[in-house]
Amino acid sequence: MMEGQLQQLAASTLARIGEAATPEQLESVRVEVLGRKGTLAQISKDMGKIAAEERARVGKLLNAAKNELEGALDRRQSEFEQAALQARLDKEWIDVTLPAPGVRPGSLHPLTQIQQELEDLFISMGVAVLYGPEVETEYNNFDALNIPPDHPARDMQDTFWLSDGHCLRTHTSPVQVRGMARFGPPLLMIAPGRVFRNEEVDPSHEHTFYQLEGMMVDRNVSIANMLYFMKTLLRHIFKRDVTVRLRPGYFPFVEPGFELDIQCLICGGPGCPVCKQSGWVELLPCGLVHPNVLRMGGIDPDEWSGFAFGLGLTRLVMMRYAIDDIRHLQGGDLRFLRQF
Amino acid sequence: MKFSYNWIQELVSGLDIAPVELMKRITIKTAECEGVEAVGAHFAAAVPARVLTVEPIGGSHNVKAVVDAGPLGERTVVCGAPNCRPGLTTVYIPSGTELEGRRIERRVVSGVESDGMLASAAELGINKDHEGIVVLDGPLPKPDHVIEVDNKSLTHRPDLWGHHGMAREVAAITGLALRDPVDLGRILKGEPVFGVDIEDLRLCPRYSALVVEGVKVGPSPLWLQQRLTAIGLNPINNIVDITNFVMAELAQPMHAFDAAKLTGQTIFVRNAKPGERMAALNGESYDLTPAALVIADAGGPIALAGVIGGMESSIGAATTRIVFESANFHAASVRRTSTRLKLRTDASIRFEKSQDPENTVRGMARAVELLAMVAPGARVVGGLSDRRAGFTPPPPIELPLEWLVRKLGREIAGADVRRILEALQFGVEEARPGVFSVAVPSWRATKDVSIKDDLVEEIGRMEGYATIDPKPPLVPAAPATENPQLHFFRALRRLCAAQGYNEVYNYSFLSEADVERFGLKAEAHVKVANPISVEQGLLRRTLIPGIWKNVEQNSKHFEAFRLFEIGFEIHGKQAQLPEETPHLCAAIYSRAGDAQQFYEAKRLAECLMPGCELRPAEARSYEHPSRAAELLWRGETMGRVFEFHPRHIETGRAVVLDVDLHAMERLTPADRRYRPIRKYPESAFDLSILAARQALVGDIEKQLRQLAGERLESIVFQRQYEGEPLPEGVKSVSYRLTVAAPDHTLSNEEVTAVRDRLIQGMQQLGYELRV
Repeated sequence: MMEGQLQQLAASTLARIGEAATPEQLESVRVEVLGRKGTLAQISKDMGKIAAEERARVGKLLNAAKNELEGALDRRQSEFEQAALQARLDKEWIDVTLPAPGVRPGSLHPLTQIQQELEDLFISMGVAVLYGPEVETEYNNFDALNIPPDHPARDMQDTFWLSDGHCLRTHTSPVQVRGMARFGPPLLMIAPGRVFRNEEVDPSHEHTFYQLEGMMVDRNVSIANMLYFMKTLLRHIFKRDVTVRLRPGYFPFVEPGFELDIQCLICGGPGCPVCKQSGWVELLPCGLVHPNVLRMGGIDPDEWSGFAFGLGLTRLVMMRYAIDDIRHLQGGDLRFLRQF
Repeated sequence: MKFSYNWIQELVSGLDIAPVELMKRITIKTAECEGVEAVGAHFAAAVPARVLTVEPIGGSHNVKAVVDAGPLGERTVVCGAPNCRPGLTTVYIPSGTELEGRRIERRVVSGVESDGMLASAAELGINKDHEGIVVLDGPLPKPDHVIEVDNKSLTHRPDLWGHHGMAREVAAITGLALRDPVDLGRILKGEPVFGVDIEDLRLCPRYSALVVEGVKVGPSPLWLQQRLTAIGLNPINNIVDITNFVMAELAQPMHAFDAAKLTGQTIFVRNAKPGERMAALNGESYDLTPAALVIADAGGPIALAGVIGGMESSIGAATTRIVFESANFHAASVRRTSTRLKLRTDASIRFEKSQDPENTVRGMARAVELLAMVAPGARVVGGLSDRRAGFTPPPPIELPLEWLVRKLGREIAGADVRRILEALQFGVEEARPGVFSVAVPSWRATKDVSIKDDLVEEIGRMEGYATIDPKPPLVPAAPATENPQLHFFRALRRLCAAQGYNEVYNYSFLSEADVERFGLKAEAHVKVANPISVEQGLLRRTLIPGIWKNVEQNSKHFEAFRLFEIGFEIHGKQAQLPEETPHLCAAIYSRAGDAQQFYEAKRLAECLMPGCELRPAEARSYEHPSRAAELLWRGETMGRVFEFHPRHIETGRAVVLDVDLHAMERLTPADRRYRPIRKYPESAFDLSILAARQALVGDIEKQLRQLAGERLESIVFQRQYEGEPLPEGVKSVSYRLTVAAPDHTLSNEEVTAVRDRLIQGMQQLGYELRV
């Protein structure tokens, strides 16, 4: 009798588990059948009433029914959990193509970028980076660089003179003077910075631009050494080997003085509009430091010699990014600056 | 400086390198050339022609002329020149020739077929005469090329301001022989007619004068005019043209005075007297000061030494007797006078380069020779008057070969050194084995070449720098000296860019209007004495006007943006260089602005200087009166944060952070130390304080911090609230406070004690607490 009752209960409970529509319904089935006061518990209590020889067999059946029902309940339970999780996840759909909020990084000025790049290159070569003031003494800007008053070379650099008798530095070369005074020989330094020339502004001329001065003072420094240094430098700047040539150039603070040309990177030599059909592009002035400059810097030219060069940072920036109007660089226009 | 190829060719025997190639070689070996230009190419096709017949053409001012064009035979042309008459010898340009950029074609003019043309001197590029067809006075001028050399690269080379100097270079470059156009034998001995009196031989190391009479002033022959025109000089008359020709050939400026217009028989070279005035050849009148050196006769100044001649004594049509001046003047003195009078002349440009005193008599000899060619009938009267300072040639330069090799960084044979220097007309002797004794020629000795380093250039450039192989220098393997500012600036830039700011570079210049707009006085600024324009009259002592301009301009294109600049404020100082203070100036702009920009700017300040604080400050004229603050860090003022006054910003709002980077760098901690991580748990509780609306949250926080004492780990602002149920004018400010001890876990009683202390303390300070 009990056996039949058990079978019927199992069958009807399995059906109810399958039919439960909510976790709550399922729970009520569990309480009703498997709970402490549930039907199975009741049957279990009634076990004492049946014959001892039957008890073991019915007990087994009872356990099997209990396990079967618990398994079914758990499976159904996890089906509900799975469905709930799925529903939550579905609800959490987002549009990944929406624009991200927040501030975007700004930018560094292209001149800053090229200056930092060159500073890093020189630092890696053991070169000290020195800065100097925008306003200089006439002595540092001219006299100490072997350009005495009334020297026609002063015309080469149209100068802004100031009401206090000083001038805006026309080149970064006065930092040579400061470097020699501060460190003495041997000396390996560069000086990037802002310089000024009293010139009308147009797409290719500025009264304010950027240079990078370099100077090396050591024993027995030769033109061959200078060439090596320049070639190394230019290879890093242009990320490729460049063919260079030296030709005479006059700068009172060097002797001999040179203009260093590089073979045109656009046409490679045969001539094009960029190099004005010459195959060469004038890039930087350089030379062996004039003994007078060393002497005025407190360095004995019989013992020490050196070379110096000047790179136009503004020019490099314009070459690198193909900028056709120099005025953009100090124009403060974000439409320009945001491109870098 | 323009050089005529033909002229150089006359001075360098056998020169046959094409002009373009010659230009390249000059660029590599001597001085930078800017280009080469063909001049008078039409002379290749032109022929001398005699006018045979001239017939009027009815109804036209033109005439029909038949000319005998020599090898081309007879040609018929229509000509409009008033001087076209039979018998005239002129220049015929055949059809198909390019002239002044157009092609001469056979065409019908006034009903007559015209084949080719008769040209004026102006059309031929000889002079500016357009009045009629040219009257040919000798052989036809030749086509030429003009090589233009960059003047800057001739700054140190007085000798290269004349063709003979450049010819010397060309001869050395090509290995050809140099011809000297000067025959000193042209100067005959004799008693001078005019005396020369030099007051200061330092300012005028040499003055040579010679008198010529029987002069008939008129145009120079066409070949001479064409030569001057080709290199950019204006033909004037035969006498003036001689002086210009000598200058262009020998770099020796000359002058000619009309002797009849001079007072007395002595030329004085002296400083001007106060109040003296001179009318110059350019039509201007100059007030002279004693700083100016003048040439004077007994009556007063007749020329500004080395700069320009006087009008009164100038050569005119009636001149018959002249005094030639060929002199040498002190470079700096000429330059000062020329700079002061803003008068740069062909003469002053040359003298300021330190011309060679030996050259004056050479110039005179060449002038006398030319006189015979271009002013027939003129004759020299008396001998040369020649005053000069005592002159000792500089001692020879010792040039050790071994030293030279070290400088060049390559081997060079003694024979090559000698060859090169001798080609440039240096005197070379081998003083001792391996040491040359080099005598510098007078035209290189005035300034250009004085030490052995100068000779390195001569040998290096002529041998060719391309022959030097790069060699790595021997340098100590040592790290470079650190530049702390470099790292400091870089970190700032990186941070600003990461926070969305775009870097701008503004000029160091401001205008008076710029500074006045920002409440500053122009007088407080270092002024530019020679500005290009009023826009650049002052040096900036703040970056704010520049940043303001950036904001104004960019607000036309963008709804919102951030930008920054790192630049130098320039503060003038008495009797020393100005102080240049680096500043960071950053701005945030928003067209739909609210108070948020202000706190964004403050956030940047906190990123840069953790723990910095803002205090309300009295607003400056350009600052929003309720939104201006002083920025403090580690007890010192670092700068300001403010919103621009609405008067200064048309639409939207812009907030500026301005930081003194000197001060900031000084206070930036150099190194940090580790603090052990706390072992025992912390406890947190919240407090809400009721305060008047304008009570400063910063003050409340400071008071809480003080009251909390050493157990306080952190105090974090949660929110502030105004409105129901709080009364009007009252706000509630909430903080979360965290307390802990380094050596044990705080008990409930300990935490409560801190909390009670805070509550009581705040109540004593007059605050209510919302519990």
